Amino acid sequence: MALLDIKNLTLEIDTEAGWIKALDKANLMVKENEIQALVGESGSGKSLIVRAISGGLPQQMRITADRLTWRGKNLLAMNGEERREIMRRDIAVVFQDPIGTLDPTVSLGEQLEESVPYEFVGSGWFWQKRAVRRKIAIQLLHKVGIKDHVATMRAYPHQITTDIGQKFMIAMALVSQPALLIADDPTRGMEATTKTQILKLFKRLNQTKGLSILFVGHDLLAISSMADSMTVLYCGQTVESGPIQKLQKRPLHPYTKALMESAPSFRVDLAPKSPLVTLPGTIPTLQHLPIGCRLGPRCERAQKTCVQAPEIRKIHDHQYSCHFPLHSKAK
Amino acid sequence: MIKILLRYTNLLVLTLLVVVIFSFALAYLFPGEPYTNLTGVIDEQAAAAHQNLSVTSAFWQYLGNIFAGDWGLSLMTGQSLADEIAITLPATLELSLYALAFALLVGLPIGFWAGLKPHKGIDYSVLGASAVMHSFPVFWLAMLLVLIFSLQFGWLPMSGRLNLLMDVPNVSGFIFVDIFLADNIDRSQAAWDAVKHLALPTFCVSIITMATIIRAVRRSTLEVMHKPFIIAAQSRGLSNAQIFFKHGFRNALLPILPILAMQVTTIITNVMIVESIFSWPGIGNWLLQAIYQQDYPAIRAGMLAVAGAVIVVTILIELFNRIIDPSREKFEDVTF
Repeated sequence: MALLDIKNLTLEIDTEAGWIKALDKANLMVKENEIQALVGESGSGKSLIVRAISGGLPQQMRITADRLTWRGKNLLAMNGEERREIMRRDIAVVFQDPIGTLDPTVSLGEQLEESVPYEFVGSGWFWQKRAVRRKIAIQLLHKVGIKDHVATMRAYPHQITTDIGQKFMIAMALVSQPALLIADDPTRGMEATTKTQILKLFKRLNQTKGLSILFVGHDLLAISSMADSMTVLYCGQTVESGPIQKLQKRPLHPYTKALMESAPSFRVDLAPKSPLVTLPGTIPTLQHLPIGCRLGPRCERAQKTCVQAPEIRKIHDHQYSCHFPLHSKAK
Repeated sequence: MIKILLRYTNLLVLTLLVVVIFSFALAYLFPGEPYTNLTGVIDEQAAAAHQNLSVTSAFWQYLGNIFAGDWGLSLMTGQSLADEIAITLPATLELSLYALAFALLVGLPIGFWAGLKPHKGIDYSVLGASAVMHSFPVFWLAMLLVLIFSLQFGWLPMSGRLNLLMDVPNVSGFIFVDIFLADNIDRSQAAWDAVKHLALPTFCVSIITMATIIRAVRRSTLEVMHKPFIIAAQSRGLSNAQIFFKHGFRNALLPILPILAMQVTTIITNVMIVESIFSWPGIGNWLLQAIYQQDYPAIRAGMLAVAGAVIVVTILIELFNRIIDPSREKFEDVTF
């Protein structure tokens, strides 16, 4: 059974120009024990999906969905208490900006110890509990690769570097031993060795603990090295999803193809100094979204029918939404 | 930590020195003999001797006298100014303290409440009320309150700190401390009487500060509750109350403290105005009398005392703010 199942998630934002669909019928499914990647350009709505899952949306946003379920339970129909319980124990989120997501007035150690669930602490006097919390916190820090736990625990958020912060956020996410870890661009701005450490850590957690990971980002190289399947997002629409090998080898949606081609590491036959293939135009702003398939104006295969949003089509576990997919015979 | 303390002590000493220099200059700027203005003694021989002194050595002598507690005599009463200020300044500080405490006690919860429920009926009515409160002229409000509560209904006394029949000796200058220290009186009755006398002036003074605090707290709560770390706390499954008390409250309070430090001056100014309406025996009332009587030594000493008190309180609040805000360390080398 799928851990997290999102079907036709639409998120609207209230702006001066009226309600804008920042996410338009997005679909996403995370199965147990898998690493699912969610890729897309900046501003394609990746982080909005994360916000929609984790709840607590601001007033000017509203969501509707055919399905937004966690282990078969409808997240949208839940009351706040049940939703919080799921977020507390089962789902953990690592947000983009680690320094900003830490309380600037509380030391890191206190914040990490605070998020240890009370079930793990056991009973005892408060100093015993504190010692247990501290022990758990230190173990976690070592696990995510922070060696100097004394200095880190004592530091305040502004005193640490971004990559320590990112590792720390992962430690904070893992503290409740969740079933699903949502990592929103966790390796951004990291140096190569740290990045490898983090990715290895994710892979190891996935293999040994059976942790499912929703890896959000645009680092295709990292994603292809660890993810099992991938969902591609363009302008709030999910254009294609499926096992990563299939998407890499035989993308069906023109956007996926363009995305793959824009990463030189995937091109074996790329001649030195040849120009990179890019889509013409730029990603449209939210106020001027095209109707139908939002890739339309930039797509070389677009035809008249593309002003209507394409249905999802399936080939086994490979899903795409395009009227004129690649590798298909012209109708 | 020691570095911070040293830095703030340095700031305090230097600022106070500037105030002392200014008060010394006042003696020369006022009409009459500088000697008389400095000491309150009319003595032609001494004045001539003083004129022969260089300004610097006169200043050093003045500084020495200030530290020795010899602030000169009042032209009006012939009393030692230091003693008179020791009686009147505590009354003013007491009123300011209670007004500030009252403003915080009411302003903080209302501000947080409005900030947590922004752009709703509660928020708008709180904002509206605070705008009205902010635009009251304090002397007008004081007179209005006297008219209603003292003259019309006769519920509250209209002048003084304590009923004259209460025989409370002046020890510290703070009324409740004195009542506690006094012998042979009915303490609870005296305290209740003091509260009744305090009610109107405290309310008058606190109302403007309260409005400022409400607006500042609302603003900063609104800002903090949209910060990423609050969203992250939500995603960790903390309840709204936990989020607010563990992460929101403290961060929302940090920008308030500097505003509070600035409000201290507003409060003391307002207290000095209100004092003369309620015949409160504080330094504002006393200074006003000195100005009417052209009592230059008293004006000089009063100004020194008030400015000194304001500076000390302001710097203490700043220091407190500096100590509880860890992120200020970032700017350690650049600014205070």
